[in-house]
Amino acid sequence: MSAIEPTVFLIDDDKAIRSAVKNLLESVGLRTEVFSSPREFLKGESKDKPGCLVLDVRLPGASGLDFQGELAKAHVEIPVIFITGHGDIPMSVQAMKAGAMDFLTKPFRDQDLLDAIQRAIGRDKARRQQQNEGVEIRNRFNSLTPREREVMSLIVEGLLNKQAAAQLGTSETTVKIHRGQVMRKMQAQSLPDLVRMSERLGPLPKSISPSSD
Amino acid sequence: MIFFDSLFSSNDFMPHGFCYLWKPGLVWLHAVSDALIALAYFSIPITLIYFIRKRKDLPFNWMFLCFGAFILACGSTHVMEVWTLWHGTYWLSGAIKVLTAMASLPTAVLLVHLVPRALALPSPEAMRLEIAERKRVQEELRSAKDELELRVQERTAELRKANQDLVAEIAQRKRSEEQLHTAQAQMAHMARMTMMGELTSSIAHEVNQPLAAVVTNGDACLRWLGNEPPNLNKARESVTGIIREANRASEIIKRIRALAKKTPPQKTLLAVNEAIEEAIGLVGAELARHRVSLLKELGPDLPPVLGDRVQFQQVILNLIANGIDAMDAVNERPRELFISSKSIDDGRVLISVSDCGAGIGQGSADHLFEAFFTTKQHGMGLGLSISRTIVEGHGGRLWAMANELYGSTFQFTLPMAVAAGASA
Repeated sequence: MSAIEPTVFLIDDDKAIRSAVKNLLESVGLRTEVFSSPREFLKGESKDKPGCLVLDVRLPGASGLDFQGELAKAHVEIPVIFITGHGDIPMSVQAMKAGAMDFLTKPFRDQDLLDAIQRAIGRDKARRQQQNEGVEIRNRFNSLTPREREVMSLIVEGLLNKQAAAQLGTSETTVKIHRGQVMRKMQAQSLPDLVRMSERLGPLPKSISPSSD
Repeated sequence: MIFFDSLFSSNDFMPHGFCYLWKPGLVWLHAVSDALIALAYFSIPITLIYFIRKRKDLPFNWMFLCFGAFILACGSTHVMEVWTLWHGTYWLSGAIKVLTAMASLPTAVLLVHLVPRALALPSPEAMRLEIAERKRVQEELRSAKDELELRVQERTAELRKANQDLVAEIAQRKRSEEQLHTAQAQMAHMARMTMMGELTSSIAHEVNQPLAAVVTNGDACLRWLGNEPPNLNKARESVTGIIREANRASEIIKRIRALAKKTPPQKTLLAVNEAIEEAIGLVGAELARHRVSLLKELGPDLPPVLGDRVQFQQVILNLIANGIDAMDAVNERPRELFISSKSIDDGRVLISVSDCGAGIGQGSADHLFEAFFTTKQHGMGLGLSISRTIVEGHGGRLWAMANELYGSTFQFTLPMAVAAGASA
């Protein structure tokens, strides 16, 4: 999934701008897809691909700012860079507040756009990695037996083996064995590592169906 | 021979003097009287001949000849009277009397026939009266003619004067009309400048777009050239893009300049749809800024109209700007502006701009097209008034109507340029 090369998605109603920006991005080896309207962009599957969105603030129909809001509502978390022919301060403030990565005024310095795109792609990559990691951790967690999950939930709360054994009504040796299994299956290097993973998983349920795949 | 002998001989007849007993007094009385009568009778035909030779125009002049012959014959009988006083040639004198009778009788008969015709001839008095009458009438005619001539001259002079006045008045009207046109063109220009002032940011955006594309293509070009190895094809493509967009920018500036220019209106064959598209091209950003979507339905194969491009676009821009303003308060439905063009029935093109805004208030409807009437915070209220003046100056009509659901529609017609040059 993360092996797919990131793509820059450009939405601008001006054909000349679309072709010029595409040309620039391709000259530095960036994959680029262009759209004349948000509607066209949403129609395809592009929004789920890794990359970033370069968006003209003024678009026919809905404005770029409206569209940004729509994306957020639809939980499309692709980073957005705004370009505008006529950026006024309130507009850029609004855009940045709504989570825009950058706000560039046309004509922009090419390096500014490329830097902004690199930052956005980097953020997208990190976000996706994090997202992937979360999925991975959940998969690992799901591979635990119910008993192991109980053990994990106790030890990440900071209980000693002995205390956990007492709570579970079992022997300390059994808890030790389960704990070893948990550390192996969760691929945790250390107890803090496991705690971090458990935090990513959120409040641990007492029992999760083993076959949640 | 015997007849002639006896005619010219006196035979045994006694001369007539015997009857007068040769009394010398009586004989000479007869001889002298008859000789004088004969002389007189011979002279009369000569006078008559002279007379008719001089007056060939007289009617019945042959009658004078008859008289001449008759009198000559009578004269001969009187000569014979003198002759027979001394010579008894009574056969001869009798024969001459026969001749005289032959000349007299037809003359007498002809005269009887001639009398009614002669009586029909006007008398000299009547002739004189008639001639005088004719002269008088002629005189009157001449004076009437003179008077008529005079009156014709007077009337002609009056007409010439009236004509001169008319020419002067036409010139004056033409001047006034020109002044009106100039004033209208100035007003239109002023309104255009005001409108363009309001559209400045949009217009700037339209120029900025191609310039941004130029810059970005330029950057891209440098990068393609800087790649290892340089990608010349892509660099060339970039330069092509630069040229294209620089031209586009220049084209837009040209259009703006044309709108801003203060030139008298020039009517040319105008492609309506092209002019509409150009106008729309200047307000794209304004539409976007107000979140207005523009829908177009421009009729295919529209014949050209005869019009001034700048003024036509001014009307379109004005109607678009009004439409945008009208929808400013609309949030509960999409702000849509609908522009259409089509040809209708009798050689006219109908252009329609429709919004879904607040619509025209009842009170405003009557004043929409009046100068200085406005419902807006800003604006001078000249747009629609000038638009109407422009449309009417092109032989068209501009009117407004309320839409069924929301907003209003402004429509105007322009006559097609059906002149022979239209297809050229």
